[in-house]
Amino acid sequence: MAGDEYDPAAASHRALQAIETALSRHPSVVATERFPEAVSTQIVARLDVDAFTAASGDPTLTVRWFAGETQAAEPTVSFHYSDRATDFGWHYEPNPHVDGRGHFQRADESADGYAYQPYSFASLEPARVVWEVCSQLAAELE
Amino acid sequence: MASESPGVTAWKEQTSAFDRVHSIATGLDRPRPAPYIASEAAVAENTARNHLGRLVEMNVLLATDDNGTTLYEPDPLHTRLRTLRSLLASHSHDELLDLKADLQAQIETWQAEYDAATPAALRQSAADSETPAETRAIRSTANEWALTAYRLGIVADAIENYATYTSDLPASA
Repeated sequence: MAGDEYDPAAASHRALQAIETALSRHPSVVATERFPEAVSTQIVARLDVDAFTAASGDPTLTVRWFAGETQAAEPTVSFHYSDRATDFGWHYEPNPHVDGRGHFQRADESADGYAYQPYSFASLEPARVVWEVCSQLAAELE
Repeated sequence: MASESPGVTAWKEQTSAFDRVHSIATGLDRPRPAPYIASEAAVAENTARNHLGRLVEMNVLLATDDNGTTLYEPDPLHTRLRTLRSLLASHSHDELLDLKADLQAQIETWQAEYDAATPAALRQSAADSETPAETRAIRSTANEWALTAYRLGIVADAIENYATYTSDLPASA
């Protein structure tokens, strides 16, 4: 930070803390936990199945956030929903499927795994992305 | 960002202006000025400045001057202490030792699998990978490795100073 060298691991750690706090304040989130338990590089949010019209059993949102390798580099991000019936998510990472990093992907057997479409995030600040994704999630599960 | 962006209305309904400024400012990956934080937190600029000033006084944020503009960034010591507090609240000394061993084992697994000593060395090896998919996979592992090493450092700190850090904590109920 001030006067110190940029540390992408510390920046990722801060982002995950901000995401965990934001998730814990969202009304559709029942609980959050780190995953895998020891290394804790991801956050799994257990969602309220009654908060979404089309959600099946055990809905979860799994979050990965790695800050850029340099301060000028962009983060690698995924917010991926899954339940007993389907999975889909909003990702911001290099990929061969769409132009640019932002995309939405949904499990699709006919597309040999996932179908992809471009997605433009309104913000790349971690707490804002939580609320944006939860809003889009509600729309996808109407 | 425009306040009409997805999720912002619900965010404003469910949280206070202070919460939003706090959540944006503590997640920043680089120093930012008050107008940027105000826009991202969906608050007025003066409101953001007031809350940012309080967060600096609380040692949650650092403020630096950049040619007359005040930039705010998370205080790395506050972030570290918050993680230490969480670890000490949820782990006994023995459990911290187990956690340290698990983290070390994971790092040793990556070292053996990729024949690399550090995440930086693994990232270097991505330059020699044969496909874009392999490059992405290597960089993803390097990111996980760096984050795991960062966590290991905090766990080691918690173990080394366990008696000091827990001496003033109230006994568990």
